[in-house]
Amino acid sequence: MDWSEPRNFKEWLRRVFSLRPVALFLLVLAVLVLELRFDWIEQSVGAYLVTTNSRRPRSGAIWVAGERTKTAKQALEQILTDREASQREARGATTFTQILSTMSPEQGVMLSSEHFRKLYLSLPEEIAGEIVTPFDLLELSSNGQWVRTFLKSEGAGLRIYLLNAKNRVMQECAISYTLLRRIERLETALTGTLDDLPIFENRIYSAERFFFALKSLPDADLRSIVPQPERLLETPGHIVRVGISDEAISGFIDLGFEIEDGTRRKVLLLQGREWAVWLLRSHLKEKSSEMKQGSTERQGDRIL
Amino acid sequence: MTSSASFIRVLRTAFYIIVAASGIAVLIAVFMFFTAVRDLPRVPEPLSRIIETPPTEIYAATGERIMAIGGREAVSLSRVSPYFIQAMLATEDHRFWEHHGLNKFRTLKALWVTLFEPGRVEGASTITQQLAKNLFFSFKRTYMRKFRELLVAIQIESRFSKREILEAYINQIPFGIGAHGIEQGSKTFFDKPASDLTLAESTLLAGLPKSPTRYNPYLNYDLAKKRQRIVLFRMASVGFITREQAHRALQEKLQFSRPLPTGARAGSYFLDVVVKGLEERYGAEIVHHGGLRVFTTLDPHLQSLAMESLRSGLESLDRMIGVQEESSYTGIPVSRPQGALVAVETNSGAVKALIGGRNYLESEYNRAVQNNRLPGSGFKPFLYYTAFEKLGMNPATLFIDMPVTVPVIGAQDWSPRNFGLKHEGPMVLKQALIKSVNSIAAQLVERTGPEDVIRTARRCGIESPLEPVYSIALGTSGVSPLEMASAFATFATGGIYHEPFLISRVEDMLGRVLEEHIVSGKRRLDASIVYQVVDTMRGVIDSGTGSVVKRLGFDLPAAGKTGTSDRYHDAWFTGFTPTLSTAVWVGFDREKELRDAGGLGITGSGGAAPIWASFMIRATEGEPRREFPVPPDITFETVDPATGRKATSLTVSPLTIPLRKGQEVSGDIQEQEADIDLENGAFKN
Repeated sequence: MDWSEPRNFKEWLRRVFSLRPVALFLLVLAVLVLELRFDWIEQSVGAYLVTTNSRRPRSGAIWVAGERTKTAKQALEQILTDREASQREARGATTFTQILSTMSPEQGVMLSSEHFRKLYLSLPEEIAGEIVTPFDLLELSSNGQWVRTFLKSEGAGLRIYLLNAKNRVMQECAISYTLLRRIERLETALTGTLDDLPIFENRIYSAERFFFALKSLPDADLRSIVPQPERLLETPGHIVRVGISDEAISGFIDLGFEIEDGTRRKVLLLQGREWAVWLLRSHLKEKSSEMKQGSTERQGDRIL
Repeated sequence: MTSSASFIRVLRTAFYIIVAASGIAVLIAVFMFFTAVRDLPRVPEPLSRIIETPPTEIYAATGERIMAIGGREAVSLSRVSPYFIQAMLATEDHRFWEHHGLNKFRTLKALWVTLFEPGRVEGASTITQQLAKNLFFSFKRTYMRKFRELLVAIQIESRFSKREILEAYINQIPFGIGAHGIEQGSKTFFDKPASDLTLAESTLLAGLPKSPTRYNPYLNYDLAKKRQRIVLFRMASVGFITREQAHRALQEKLQFSRPLPTGARAGSYFLDVVVKGLEERYGAEIVHHGGLRVFTTLDPHLQSLAMESLRSGLESLDRMIGVQEESSYTGIPVSRPQGALVAVETNSGAVKALIGGRNYLESEYNRAVQNNRLPGSGFKPFLYYTAFEKLGMNPATLFIDMPVTVPVIGAQDWSPRNFGLKHEGPMVLKQALIKSVNSIAAQLVERTGPEDVIRTARRCGIESPLEPVYSIALGTSGVSPLEMASAFATFATGGIYHEPFLISRVEDMLGRVLEEHIVSGKRRLDASIVYQVVDTMRGVIDSGTGSVVKRLGFDLPAAGKTGTSDRYHDAWFTGFTPTLSTAVWVGFDREKELRDAGGLGITGSGGAAPIWASFMIRATEGEPRREFPVPPDITFETVDPATGRKATSLTVSPLTIPLRKGQEVSGDIQEQEADIDLENGAFKN
């Protein structure tokens, strides 16, 4: 190639239009035309970027929105899972105290009317009557509008809303803390003996003596002392001893029934009305002398 | 040197400069490429993933969807009107099917204009580039951002088909008023699916994404039509339609999903309260990205009636006031009175309609829930209830309307004046409320004490801060229209309070329930005393300060009370039937008096009651006539309003008074004589 300066214009033209410059020019032109026609630069760059796509960061508005959606869905799922767990536990609950223990303070639980009816019927008559009268429930059931029951914690107790299909409250009632405590004690069946429970200390009687004194009372008072004899009857084993607490809770006194079932012993708690239990205790004292004559005390039992 | 030699030298120098410049340009491009590519965002695959955010949908009580927050409603290209697709292509990128993400000639031209014509910036973004920008980049204008956007566009073109790109594009473009994507846009503006859009509708919508607010037809109809014209003639010039079709489409009358002058969707203020409540409970993230289903209490029919009544009522008020001043930007008068209306279902507390201002697009400030407006005499029913309950009074108890001065410990004595500055002497309490006599209200509050009046208001659900001062009887503490409507609903139900609510149920997108509202009524007031107050308030509508309601044609049994705050800053009317309680407030946002063109003050009777009547007449249309239930211990007596004694055949305009068990009409006024110096009206200490 001649790199010297052309001597005149003619020579310059000759050099410009020689084979190699023209070929080079055509090559450049072809590249440009092909790019315009077939977008090969974009195609190549695009193909390269596609191969690196999976290694690049998830940044930009769409990914931020995606991340937010993911976070929101997780948070929502958490709320729903907690709520559903609480509802599931509530649906499986067989007592009001179980329901209260599954409930978070800020949200209640929804039960079917049938479930509420079962819980209600499992309570002793006088406790159930303190929540809502059976006649109110009968009236609500008879018109077929009561479909669900919403329970929420209120202080240490429960507020209950009996609802129709439009979530309108048809009847509202409550279970106070003290009533719940009574129900809780009703539900208690403790493994062990009465000697393990300090509330019965020095007031433990043999079953024979307890029922002897009980039977001496008028029939009308018996249910005031033992409100649910059916509970005792349906419990496997036999009653060996009975303890009487001297602490009254809102007009009721705990009675502990120690039941022997094979080699195991357990204590079932029931609540008797305060006045009736005091009456029974006075009878227990009176009958103690009669009992000493004709009956034998179980060895180890303490007698007042 | 010869001239040819110097010519050759010039050419050669130019050639080398071009070669060097091209080389440098290539080097810069390569450098920029490798710089940009380092933190280039990853493109989602498939591209349809960009619309996976589920929308939070808000439904009216009728089941109709009234709003979707976030999310996109994706449709395939085959379910979009071809007119819309052609309109978008003609306007945004008519060579879309030919290029590979970059329109080179348009880009070069734009570059030239940007570089060499100072002050002018020309866009050349293709649809793919716009898609890349919308998906990944901010709107900050930098060369590097543009370059990255170009690279992503090129990648999108390499990876996805043109149809996929176009589908992704039309499913995410903004149309304004919260509508993203063509399906939402079509439903928002024309209440129809995107597949059914006509040429005229398609071209109007295709013009919006350029500037959704500026071309919003609800706000700027003329600008939107001008933009539609541009779109139509672009379509004609690229051959999608003929000029004749373009002219015909331009002339076509567009049927919008709601009337143009009302602007925002009918439930905007209502929805604001709903969304705010949801955000407080669940957090903004869940509300905007979680895909909730929210079922509200809104009745779209009542809401649109409320909107229409408030709008026409405020326009009448404009004429009374003589408002003419107009804003140069929107053409909307800037100093016009505002208003609010809330309607609550009395036996549940469900808020059926809520309007917080004359136009949401003008002002998003929600006056329906702000508790800063003085209710004036609208507060008196709480006072009367307190007096009936605490002092054993009844609507026939006789008082003397005269100037009174109540001594206030540690402050200036309080001497309220009557509205008309006149005093009428003895009158029964029913008459006093019917005529809204302030001097008798002052005597009552002096006896009940302001604390007990506040307690009554609280029992009815008023939660705003209330100052325990005597003037509370005349409504000198701010409340909200929502509170007033809800509190008066307690009177409508005979004393049973229902908490007002706007959301009845919230579910996730699978229908799992997050919350449900339980409609629970609590007896807060005595039914018989409430009946006495309600009967007295009926008198307000039948023959008192609210009688304009009757004159305007509302003839169902209803009770209510007007209210006008000091210096005419606020005008109220709150009233109810046994089923619906509605509060209306009008006034200026800033401290400005409501006065007509002649300088006379506008009261609740003149400003708010006509709006209430207009709304209630239509809202209760077709409803059976329901009376307020009379409690069993109520008996009725007809009395002389001026003496409080049993009416005789000679009594002029006797009043029927409900009396509770053990109450009798006596006409005695000795109670006042014991306390007030009748010479000067001052209370004896």
